[in-house]
Amino acid sequence: MAPARDTPFRSADMSMVQLYISNEIGREVVNALGELGLIQFRDLNGEQSAFQRAFTKDIRRLDNVERQLRYFHAQMEKSGIDLRKLDLDVDTLAPPTTTEIDELADRSQSLEQRVSSLNESYETLKKREVELTEWRWVLREAGGFFDRAHGNVEEIRASTDDDDAPLLQDVEHHISAPEVERSFSGMNIGFVAGVVARDRVAAFERILWRTLRGNLYMNQAEIPDPLIDPTNNEPVQKNVFVIFAHGKEILAKIRKISESMGAEVYNVDENSDLRRDQVHEVNARLNDVQSVLRNTQQTLEAELTQISRSLSAWMILVSKEKAVYNTLNNFSYDRARRTLIAEGWCPTHDLPLIRSTLQDVTNRAGLSVSSIINEIRTNKKPPTYLKTNKFTEAFQTIVNAYGTATYQEVNPAIPVIVTFPFLFAVMFGDLGHAIIMLCAALAMIYWEKPLKKVTFELFAMVYYGRYIALVMAVFSIYTGLIYNDIFSMSMTLFKSSWEWDVPEDYRAGGSLTAKLSDPNYRYPFGLDWRWHGTENDLLFTNSYKMKMSIILGWAHMTYSLCFAYINARHFKRPVDIWGNFVPGMIFFQAIFGYLVICIIYKWTVDWFALGLQPPGLLNMLIYMFLQPGFIDVQLYRGQKYVQIGLLLLALAQVPILLFLKPFYLRWEHNRARAKGYRGIGERSRVSALDEDDDAAAAAHGNGRHSVDSAGEGVAMMAQDLDDGDDDEGGDGHGHGGEFEFGEVMIHQVIHTIEFCLNCVSHTASYLRLWALSLAHQQLSAVLWSMTMAPAFSRSGIGGAIFMVVAFTAFFCLSCIILIIMEGVSAMLHSLRLAWVESFSKFAEFGGWPFTPFSFGQLLEESEELQEYMG
Amino acid sequence: MANGWSVIIGLVVVVAMSLAAWFFSPKGANQVLWRSSLILSIASCYLMWAVTFLAQLHPLIEPRRTDLRKEYIHH
Repeated sequence: MAPARDTPFRSADMSMVQLYISNEIGREVVNALGELGLIQFRDLNGEQSAFQRAFTKDIRRLDNVERQLRYFHAQMEKSGIDLRKLDLDVDTLAPPTTTEIDELADRSQSLEQRVSSLNESYETLKKREVELTEWRWVLREAGGFFDRAHGNVEEIRASTDDDDAPLLQDVEHHISAPEVERSFSGMNIGFVAGVVARDRVAAFERILWRTLRGNLYMNQAEIPDPLIDPTNNEPVQKNVFVIFAHGKEILAKIRKISESMGAEVYNVDENSDLRRDQVHEVNARLNDVQSVLRNTQQTLEAELTQISRSLSAWMILVSKEKAVYNTLNNFSYDRARRTLIAEGWCPTHDLPLIRSTLQDVTNRAGLSVSSIINEIRTNKKPPTYLKTNKFTEAFQTIVNAYGTATYQEVNPAIPVIVTFPFLFAVMFGDLGHAIIMLCAALAMIYWEKPLKKVTFELFAMVYYGRYIALVMAVFSIYTGLIYNDIFSMSMTLFKSSWEWDVPEDYRAGGSLTAKLSDPNYRYPFGLDWRWHGTENDLLFTNSYKMKMSIILGWAHMTYSLCFAYINARHFKRPVDIWGNFVPGMIFFQAIFGYLVICIIYKWTVDWFALGLQPPGLLNMLIYMFLQPGFIDVQLYRGQKYVQIGLLLLALAQVPILLFLKPFYLRWEHNRARAKGYRGIGERSRVSALDEDDDAAAAAHGNGRHSVDSAGEGVAMMAQDLDDGDDDEGGDGHGHGGEFEFGEVMIHQVIHTIEFCLNCVSHTASYLRLWALSLAHQQLSAVLWSMTMAPAFSRSGIGGAIFMVVAFTAFFCLSCIILIIMEGVSAMLHSLRLAWVESFSKFAEFGGWPFTPFSFGQLLEESEELQEYMG
Repeated sequence: MANGWSVIIGLVVVVAMSLAAWFFSPKGANQVLWRSSLILSIASCYLMWAVTFLAQLHPLIEPRRTDLRKEYIHH
């Protein structure tokens, strides 16, 4: 009987539905369903490639818009403009109409052109600016060379024109400066001036020197400010150089070499007046360029700022729109009736909601033909849809990390909500640490909204598990009280049941033993604090915690095993009850249930009062298997027979576990056969002709034939239902496909061996509860004795300072090692106990997850869109 | 007096609490969640307390220490 509504106990009831949507409102319908997020559409065009599909053209167009939007974003980042992020909790986006989307596309198209042309002109101008700046530097520096060079012109001349020097010497002495300048050309000395990157100067010099065999005079100066390379916006250090050389060919050669070294050669006039004019001109042009540049920059920034206000919204709209068309591509189109036909899974209980949504869309569009939605029957396995809320979400994630539960089996997350934090707490039991953890968890829950925006990954993970942390902390407080540990200290909440048995001649340092003060009084809650700090407290707590681990493990596994019964009953598989659950339970209880009863019984007996030797339970269990019938120390009368009986009972379950289910299934199968039923899709071979057919059918997958008899319109759809998604999960035991006794038998043998061995190994595995809790307790005791204990023994001002330091160390180390590290380790161990020890008892994990078409999920999961959302 | 009967009394109390949890769980889709979580928590906590209590009911060893000063003994 299906429950009246979906509960977290099982995955939701699912239905396969078919939608007939009028072609005109297809987009609107999908949009509305995306907002609703309750249908997982199936691909009905599996045989078509991505290019053949109907809406590929629209997707292309949207891809282009998306590219343009990303381009704007990149430009914004380049100019350092902040994006206005969209906070979906605050802003809501109305579903866009087609015209809005068209407008958006046109607008982004024209904006892209504008931005890119602005960018282009900006880059050209920038280049021009750099060139002019370089030229100005060359003019300035080269001028300096010339002025210095003129001082030396005499020597240059003297060295070059040694022969006729005396003739002209007197004339030369009297000429004025401009004439001297002209004399360069008279000397046939030319020069090349330019700018080269500083890291290339050495190579440049060397090449010049080698090619010209030293026939040059090179001068250079550093430009103090780095220049910006317009192509990649990186600063480059550059030098101005002026090379003087003799002869036209050599000068041409120098020019060529400069070009090949990536140097810019600039025209510099020899004449200082002309040069001055040049400088003026360059300065004027530079000013012009800079002002234009500023304007361009401003326009560009204004444009981008304008865009930045709505870019996020556009991006999200376009992503949604693309998702809509991608979904529409999965629909099949009936040309004759001009309708789109869609198919998908949806939760049965949400069908009315989907129906009303469809009706709304139709009404809004003013269409007379309403969309039709109808459930279809299928033998496909539905997806597993486990509804969660804020609290259960993280727990469900822990379970889903292991696997997806089979459709409608007991949701393994239900017991996990308590058992996982509780087993954690058994290992983490310390009141002090638990309180710190509780504060952290409560803080995260109290500031839930603001902390949600934190994107730091590690914190986001802890934040996601805040409710787990809360439950873990609450249970840890309880176990801390039970263990009577607060930062490894004890609390004297109640009167101890022990008192020291002091001899008359007691001296400090002598051995003291406690005795029970009142035979009728025991420490009422948790561990007696008198044990704290005694020599043999580990002896006592180890025995206690070890036994407790076994008892808790037994309880946990028995509880988990009971779910196997609930599952078997729900799926109406009585053979699973009689062939798996009952013998398994008897096997487990005969051995470990008995052990637990013995543990408890041993505790309840006052052995010394009876004058008996307390028996060792470990030996008892070992002898029970190795030497049945041998009792080392007797626990109770008739123990021998009980143990032999239990052992035989347990052994008797093994053949039942092994054979009952496979043989029952075979019997059932044969009976059905005898009555003439055949499996769906199965064919009998009547003639030789059929054999070919069979081979062909096998090649096509198993389905095809099943639908021959189904209705016409639906048939088309239902047909590829079978071969479409074979990957969605194999069929369960027995039904569908050929019954293979061998396979079932092997499966059962493995299950039996696994189950019996696991009973032993899993019980032993729970001893980790003892080990981890011992480790935690000892570690915090060590930390106390290394930090706080020495601090307490000092006095005076030094002692006070030491106390502050010691407490800081104590607190920090407590948080880092004992809470975070130990907490993580205890959590992992508890996780394993849930995944392996508990889940292996009942859960199949044979389902496939329900992933509806939902805008909410789309936006949440898309990495790319994260930067657009606040 | 906290003696052996406490375990039984505790059990009665815990069963009563479980029944209360069963009947007073808030109605709605999450009722099953409330019931299962509350009862499972109560049962686990009881189990742990009972085990701790039983382990100290008839102790086989006594606390022993050698580092006590005379003044401290009677506290």
